Amino acid sequence: MNVSRNLVLLLGRRAGPLGAPPRPPGAPGPPLGLSGPGSLQAWRSFRRSPVCSKIPAEFAGKQEDKSLVAHDDLFERASRDVRTKAAFGRAVDVFLKRDIRRRGHVEFIYAALKRMPEFGVERDLDVYNRLLDVFPKEVFVPRNFIQRMFNHFPRQQECGVQVLEQMENYGVLPNVQTKVLLVQVFGEKSHPFRKYQRLMYWFPRFRHVNPFPVPCQLPADPVDLARLSLARIANDRDARVTVYQLPATEPSESGAERTLPHIVGVQSPAQMELLSRHDPRRPVFVEGPFPLWLRTTCVQYYVLRADPVPQELRVEEPYDPERCLDYPLQLDLDLDRDLGDDESFDVEDVDEGPVYAMCMAGQGDQATLNQWISGLQEQNPVLGRVPTLFRLQAGSRELQAEPDRVRRPPPDEPTAEPGVPVEEEEEEEAEPRRSRGLKQ
Amino acid sequence: MSLPKLTHLPQVRLLTSIHPQQLLLPPVPALAVPRRALVQGEYRRPGQPKDNRLPWQKITFNLSKGLEGIKKHLGLLKLDLTERWVGPEGKPILEHMLEQNRVVWEFRGPESLNEWTVSCDHEIGGHSEAYLKLGKHNTGFLYGTLSSVPPRDGETRYSGYCSMRSKQPLGSFDRKKFHDWTNFNTLHLRVRGDGRPWMVNIAAETYFSHQKDDLYSYFLFTRGGPYWQDVKIPFSKFFLSHRGRIQDDQHCLWLDKIKTIGFTLGDKADGPFQLEIDYIGVCKDYAHTEEFAYEVYKRNPEV
Repeated sequence: MNVSRNLVLLLGRRAGPLGAPPRPPGAPGPPLGLSGPGSLQAWRSFRRSPVCSKIPAEFAGKQEDKSLVAHDDLFERASRDVRTKAAFGRAVDVFLKRDIRRRGHVEFIYAALKRMPEFGVERDLDVYNRLLDVFPKEVFVPRNFIQRMFNHFPRQQECGVQVLEQMENYGVLPNVQTKVLLVQVFGEKSHPFRKYQRLMYWFPRFRHVNPFPVPCQLPADPVDLARLSLARIANDRDARVTVYQLPATEPSESGAERTLPHIVGVQSPAQMELLSRHDPRRPVFVEGPFPLWLRTTCVQYYVLRADPVPQELRVEEPYDPERCLDYPLQLDLDLDRDLGDDESFDVEDVDEGPVYAMCMAGQGDQATLNQWISGLQEQNPVLGRVPTLFRLQAGSRELQAEPDRVRRPPPDEPTAEPGVPVEEEEEEEAEPRRSRGLKQ
Repeated sequence: MSLPKLTHLPQVRLLTSIHPQQLLLPPVPALAVPRRALVQGEYRRPGQPKDNRLPWQKITFNLSKGLEGIKKHLGLLKLDLTERWVGPEGKPILEHMLEQNRVVWEFRGPESLNEWTVSCDHEIGGHSEAYLKLGKHNTGFLYGTLSSVPPRDGETRYSGYCSMRSKQPLGSFDRKKFHDWTNFNTLHLRVRGDGRPWMVNIAAETYFSHQKDDLYSYFLFTRGGPYWQDVKIPFSKFFLSHRGRIQDDQHCLWLDKIKTIGFTLGDKADGPFQLEIDYIGVCKDYAHTEEFAYEVYKRNPEV
């Protein structure tokens, strides 16, 4: 009797979306559970086996309206007001208190794993430990060598592995409590415990392998975020990050509120020296936006650069021997190198021209970037004599240009593909900037 | 029989009491278990019909194609025969022995794009896109969009990858050729990325057919920004993985028969990506003496 009742219980529990193919979390799907209470009742009475009508009163009373509920429904009910860790914990509690034998715990855990990102607990180790706690203890531990040899309770073990795999995917490192739970539930040589051992072997090994680490919690303030990412891409410890403009709102003449975007730039002494030696007859370019990914956040930056100097215009500047008296800047030692001591690769160098500065701004329009150039001009007076061209690319931003200053691109001009560096000059300001330099 | 005793039940209910057992036959929900194929064939999307054509039916016979093939292969054969009079791999012996570094792949023209295969999870029904083209300054430019929405085929649970893989070098008459990097111990890349982490995969020739999906992988972290980045990865750091799972039994990469190199992106950050590659080379780093970075002794408890 018990067995067949179990089957029916299981069936009822699997009637929810668990039996259905997995759905991407964001995609619209059929409504969870069944369509309404009326059809629910009709369906259930239709499916109920004769044995099921003999459920003892104490069990039947515990379940609401004597029905079998899909586990997604538990989370639906727990999250009616707000989806938090506490709500998730309540759903687990409800399940634990419902049945002392914890029937259907595998389905419950699968449902819980699927709902974790919605509740925002997918990176929470405590929640994973609570889920592993749902497994009944010492039932699935093999007791003799035959059980150990064969796959003992495969469904439950696979479910346990799945919990650990989700931890792995979200980068959650298990702790001792996880280990104790796994040993209690599955035993010491089970598949979930092996998975745990693998996690503990490989995760700490690769934890600090990234030479350019990104903090787990990115700063929420865009200025701080810009500082962080500019210091990252500058590739120079001496580079100085300058905030040219803080985000603010100010009333304009027409009375409407105007928001000033933030402008943060970075320039290193080497770049300043390069820029000071720039030939004023050749233009410099403001290019962008280029994407930069910090974990799952994408920010965009702009670059001030010049085209590479043609070969015939290049001049080799000899080192001034008096520039540094402490040690010679040029050594012409003829160290006897062996035949095979050539350590350079035999490739043509890619010459892209020097990079003079980088910036990040709240808006990517030309007026904002003009302010950046004006700010740069205080440190680099050569910029006042150099024509500045803007090679901006139609990205995610909108062009908010004043009509008298910027030539709008004709509508039939092909737009560049997103994510591709600039191929065409979309809008170009050939007029030298010096007429309005520093006036803004 | 017990049937007369049950006559007080409606007929319908009698039938339904049998029904559940049939439904319970698949013992695990599709969510739980990845299907493990015993025979590792080519990947076929769930729901896609099998290609039942006979092997010769897949070949298109064409006279001009055949003549071109003969010309190409005879040329390669001639090269094979004459090269070995010069020295190993067509270089003089002294140059071969004293070689400190070698550029294996570089992007210096449209023909260099033919050495690569670009793929993404579009093949399994995902929504990513990946393209390879020549950049503005004659560099390989890999770009596209990553999307980690799994395809709705009921079986695939994860998705979202884009990858680029080199083609295996082929000799005359399509004999397999391999890269021999035993003189070197470090992989040298000159790349410019957008801050995303990539994975470098090296496939070596294996003996048994069940090892054909073995890959040796390591991470390639890009800094992002306008500057090029020289990355040196020692071969000793590459770990063995099979079909995306790190193996317990690790072994160092044998460099005598390298088939392909590949780059994979799968960092679950949806959006556009780009990776610019200048060249890929191998070099000899005398300061690096490590043979293998991971434990190869028998562990206790043995996993």
